[in-house]
Amino acid sequence: MNLLVVILIQASFYALLGMGYVLIYRATRVLNLAHGDLMVFGAYLFFQALVATGGSLTLAIMAAALGAALLGAMVYLGVMRPLASYPVAVGVLATIALGLVLRTIVTVIWSAQTRYPAELLGRTGQPIVLFAGVNVSGIDALIIAAAVIAMIGFPLLLRLSTVGIEMRGVAENPLLAAQRGINIHRINAFSWAAATVMATVAGIFFSIKVRLGPDIWYVGLAGFAPALIGGMDSLKGVLVGAVIRAPGGACGAVSGAARRAVDAAMGDFRLARGA
Amino acid sequence: MTRRGLPSTLRTNFRDDIQLLDSGFVRFWAAAGLVAALLLPLALTNFWTGVANQVFIAVIGALALNLLTGTTGQISLGHAGFVAAGAFTVAALITHFEAPFGFVLLAAAIIGAILGVLVGLPALRLKGLYLAVSTLAAHFVILVGVGQYQSTISYGSGFTIPSPSIFALEIGSERAWYFFLLPFALGVLLLNLNWLRSAYGRAWMAIRHRDVAAEALGINVALYKLLAFSASTSLTCVSGALWAYHTAFVSVEAFDFDMLIRYLAMVIIGGLGSVLGACLGALFVVVLPHIISILADKIPVLQGLGGKTFDLQVGVFGVAMLLFLILEPRGLAGIWARVRFYFQLWPFKYRAWES
Repeated sequence: MNLLVVILIQASFYALLGMGYVLIYRATRVLNLAHGDLMVFGAYLFFQALVATGGSLTLAIMAAALGAALLGAMVYLGVMRPLASYPVAVGVLATIALGLVLRTIVTVIWSAQTRYPAELLGRTGQPIVLFAGVNVSGIDALIIAAAVIAMIGFPLLLRLSTVGIEMRGVAENPLLAAQRGINIHRINAFSWAAATVMATVAGIFFSIKVRLGPDIWYVGLAGFAPALIGGMDSLKGVLVGAVIRAPGGACGAVSGAARRAVDAAMGDFRLARGA
Repeated sequence: MTRRGLPSTLRTNFRDDIQLLDSGFVRFWAAAGLVAALLLPLALTNFWTGVANQVFIAVIGALALNLLTGTTGQISLGHAGFVAAGAFTVAALITHFEAPFGFVLLAAAIIGAILGVLVGLPALRLKGLYLAVSTLAAHFVILVGVGQYQSTISYGSGFTIPSPSIFALEIGSERAWYFFLLPFALGVLLLNLNWLRSAYGRAWMAIRHRDVAAEALGINVALYKLLAFSASTSLTCVSGALWAYHTAFVSVEAFDFDMLIRYLAMVIIGGLGSVLGACLGALFVVVLPHIISILADKIPVLQGLGGKTFDLQVGVFGVAMLLFLILEPRGLAGIWARVRFYFQLWPFKYRAWES
């Protein structure tokens, strides 16, 4: 039973990551290979805010989310917008380069030392009893809650709010959307900001639960697998993908390399089916 | 993004068009470059000769990637995996059979060609983003495969490769390597140039421009895509084999994401689709880290960064790639073309057509 809950937590984490990929892919048709680095950057913002506020979780998360939103919008306006007219492959290559730059900035500012934000929080770690015999820590409950909120909130946002409708319009046909008076660059910048915030939230949870270091960008890249398995432009698909992907991460017996091979093979399988 | 080659001034017949050295300007600089390359080892220390050798090996790899991604327009993120396949061909053939140098290089080329067909076959149906992802998956599959091989055969510690020898001449010192790799890299360069001016090259470029139109013109798109894949991976595997011999040690850690990024940086900074660009890009990417670490020792501001020179190198690559993508998509080759046209057409300002 506990294993199932671990899988649920993992799935929530991957769903958060995968949704970031999907948001950016839907909006700009770019596979964002810098997502893992955006995640690391956001997690470090959180760490810095945690130090500054003296260990207040709520304040730190809010500050990190704000910073991440700014970062995402800046990345779109500074890097992706000038490349908008180029082939898709160029955009993908640009995100790789962007990831390198972000990683360097993180290492130069915060050094490559591994940190444990959980220590700053004082590790209150009271287990919460979900139901008889199943315990989760507070942070696990938060991960699940965040994923559920994102999973329900984003489709609602896309369906009901003005900005959501504009986002769908831009994703469907940018030219028509622009002619209808929608500022597509503002909308795309918003998509990037939202995706960066989601990456940051995932990064925050990972850094509290496990550790924080510049090398955890790899975890962020792994979030690409659920997005791919679920279909790159479907938010619901991410959930399915995350559930498929999670057991691989949950079973400690599987070595990292084999897991990556499974990811790669699953990606190939989906591609071979003519996605 | 224009990714055309570099046309010189007006051409009036077909022979002019396929000439390799198409103007006095190019002839002069090719001759000067060759003389400089032959005399260079006299001026270089042992360390810098080694760097030059790395440049030659990188040139072969970059030309191969350029053939696939630049000329044929098939984006490949599996390049480091193919380099690893070449290097591990060397490791396996030497560990199990103590095979001679020439035979190993040939075997690497053949294995590379087969790998290219294997990766190319599913890639025939994929385009753009999905092609990028499937080649990235190929990268991981190959790395896991050779990683398993390494941990089974050598218990994880990697393979030591003895110095190769051809015709009883041992290639041991960096200078010997230099005079072996210089003609080798030049040969691969000529091979690429010749491919580009043959029917193969024209078919590949047609596929890059628009595969549907290429098919309508009677080009067997599937066949030529596969040919591009296997030619590229074959050359890449040879480059990986040379890398293994030159480094004298093969271990799976060397072929990570960073190596892939270095090769991508070479073709992007050099200029996608340009043979000259691939060479310039390889030179730039291999030499830049050494220059950065020298600068980091000399300039006081950078000294504060201490042991972070590696991260600095990575960051400079990233910034350089971004700047070239945004500001000069034709890369170093594009800059060279502008300089060249300026002098060739002087005192006139405008060239006959936009290159």
